[in-house]
Amino acid sequence: MSDVAADQVLRGWAVDPAAGREGAAEVTLRDGLVDRVAWLSGEAADGLGPDGSLILPGLVDLHAHFREPGNEDAETVASGQAAAAHGGFTTVAVMPNTSPAIDEPGVVARVRAAAAASGSPVRVLVHAAVTVGRGGETLAPLGELADAGVAGFSDDGAPVHAAALLRNALAYAGALGLPIIDHPEDPSLTKGAEASEGYVASVLGLKGWPVAGEAGAVARAIAILADVVADVPGARLHLTHVSTAASLAHVRAAKAAGLPVTCDVTPHHIAFTDEWIAGSRRWAWEALDDAGAARDPWTDGALVAPPFDTSLRVNPPLRTPPDAAACVAALADGTADAIATDHAPHTEVDKHVEFGWAINGISGIETALPIVLAAVDAGLVPLARAVEALTTGPARILGERQRLVPGLREGEPADLVVVDRGATWTVTPGSLRSKGKNSPLLGRELHGVVLLTLAGGRVAYTAG
Amino acid sequence: MTAEADREGAASSGPVSAVSAVVPAVDAHPQTQPVAWRHRHLLDVDALTRAELELVMGTTDAMREVLARPIPKVPALRGTNVTILFYEASTRTRVSFEVAAKNLSCDVVNIAAASSSVSKGESLVDTVRTIEALGADMLVMRHPASGAPYLAAEVFGGSVLNGGDGWHAHPSQALLDLYTLRSRLPGGSLEGRKVVILGDALHSRVARSNIWTLTAMGADLWLCGPSTLLRGFEAWAAHGAAGRRFTVTSDVDAAIRDADVVMALRIQKERMASGLLPSLREYAARYGLTTERLRAASPDVVVMHPGPMNEGVEIAADVAVDPRSVITAQVTNGVAVRMALLYLLAGARHDGGNA
Repeated sequence: MSDVAADQVLRGWAVDPAAGREGAAEVTLRDGLVDRVAWLSGEAADGLGPDGSLILPGLVDLHAHFREPGNEDAETVASGQAAAAHGGFTTVAVMPNTSPAIDEPGVVARVRAAAAASGSPVRVLVHAAVTVGRGGETLAPLGELADAGVAGFSDDGAPVHAAALLRNALAYAGALGLPIIDHPEDPSLTKGAEASEGYVASVLGLKGWPVAGEAGAVARAIAILADVVADVPGARLHLTHVSTAASLAHVRAAKAAGLPVTCDVTPHHIAFTDEWIAGSRRWAWEALDDAGAARDPWTDGALVAPPFDTSLRVNPPLRTPPDAAACVAALADGTADAIATDHAPHTEVDKHVEFGWAINGISGIETALPIVLAAVDAGLVPLARAVEALTTGPARILGERQRLVPGLREGEPADLVVVDRGATWTVTPGSLRSKGKNSPLLGRELHGVVLLTLAGGRVAYTAG
Repeated sequence: MTAEADREGAASSGPVSAVSAVVPAVDAHPQTQPVAWRHRHLLDVDALTRAELELVMGTTDAMREVLARPIPKVPALRGTNVTILFYEASTRTRVSFEVAAKNLSCDVVNIAAASSSVSKGESLVDTVRTIEALGADMLVMRHPASGAPYLAAEVFGGSVLNGGDGWHAHPSQALLDLYTLRSRLPGGSLEGRKVVILGDALHSRVARSNIWTLTAMGADLWLCGPSTLLRGFEAWAAHGAAGRRFTVTSDVDAAIRDADVVMALRIQKERMASGLLPSLREYAARYGLTTERLRAASPDVVVMHPGPMNEGVEIAADVAVDPRSVITAQVTNGVAVRMALLYLLAGARHDGGNA
């Protein structure tokens, strides 16, 4: 078992979205509990700024893949928890596309047992499948799964393709007080697709994944939600890994109309772009010209790595720089409620193959916070808003039933992360705790080193 | 003597200057030559400079001279093991590489994917490692997945020569097309010439590689076909790699008008099943390269096709054998260009060049 957090005083720049507060602070821990949060000012705050050590509530990931049961060579619940803790996450909701799929309470129990057996204090929540075997044909036993305490329902990796089934699932889950977490994709537009349709895919001869393949599915799901919510006020739709400006425009309009829809964006869709597949490694916001259009990596010297790196193969695909900019803007203005990692570890066997034959996914839970901080550094999203999208934002989507209340609250078990924002670390296979080494950032130096992760009053990760 | 004039001489079977800087004497191993080739692999043509393209052209001239000899064979690459690994059916490209390698006295091993352990599910990485362990110095590969040669190059200790990958690139085809065009166009220059690539660009590695090489040489490139087969190229043309002339259109009349070159691309029947085209009949009627359509082109228009042709679909049978067609010359030049590429890569390899 992990140790109870030592009694200590943490000093740094604290961000507490639940309290609506950020600033220099001193957090005193005693017996694993937050004993006192003292906001500092004047001389006491000297040397404690937002560029130094950050004290944040434990991060919450509403979308990750821990591969257990069935693909334990890619990740186990235990290795996923270790990776999460290294990334600053204290709560992770795992997706049900395991083998067998998490589509009945027995498999839920199995995942929970693995989480308990690991000894890690990182909380593992479970999403269950919408349909039996994620087959898209018959509703899974949503009621039994709700009783078993699942956080939501998703056929992630695939959409709930049949409109009628999505409609029924929204109604049925809505009555249970749980969200449908939809992976928006129209397979008729994306079959065999390898990269976002456009300039880069065209030059590289990769089959295009058109924007309409996502935006059309988003629009459809919202239209169905609007229909369902009239009868089932509790119906909730969460659209995960939204990646295009067109999709976000639909979400923005739906929210303005008062519909119970939420969405998340991933770190990789914020910061990486399709030009990375051609060999670029600049952040998305560095790939825009003054007019907000994509620069040409073939003529401006941006291609620094070999093309066709399969760690960049992901679904939805990495988008153009303007789409990535739209994702960041949606994060900043609240259209995107949360940042979800879509942590998708894979083995060398599944990734060290031809680009078009490589399995989709990026191992990303350990690099999420540094990527988001890079966007903050670039001035694209305020720190407090970014932290909110990594803590209270996803917690709200996962629901009150999970009793998730991220924050720095006196008298509660310490659930927080300390990050040295100025320090750097290099992403290597050895530095990643995840079994999945499929990160496009291998070899890259990132700003933002997690020094300490405490979950439920216990030590989940400590540096050195 | 300029490089271009020298190339012209070779293309017309005239004497080759032994002193030209860009035409090496290829009887000896390239390591002994003052060639300025820096690429260990040839995976794509996107990064080739105009000077490098000129070097390939000049070396091809020298190879044509070899091919004109009574015994078209030189010992330049004696002892070099070349493995030809094709994951797709091909006759002309595979045989062309094999003949080219043998003309340079390489030892050649041919692997057709269907007859090897590849069909037992062995990964490309393992296959390439095995080929290297068996002593291959150079690997010529064709693969249905775009980018596959990059994966091979990552693990192979020698040189990888891309013989066509998915929809992505077909470097040797683009270079032989360039060579063929320069030998046919007055003045041997592509500068300002209107070149039309007509047909299924979406699925064509030949089109993609030709876009790079022809625009690099100053051609005014037009890509024409049904809009369903041009998806993504509009974005490419809009980005327009600096200084390149590149137009995308579905208007076949506008494209062919005053064209100096028209290259028709193969249309495959699968395209109808995926809903990209109504029918071959409609394609032939609207985009087929016919004598009638060619009347709008320049009187000296050069007609090309990378083969294999569907006569009566993308190209009329009479156009294919028209005196203005260089389709047969494309095949002949293919051997010379591939000899040049093997030769240049062998030289770079010994210099420790980079991809």
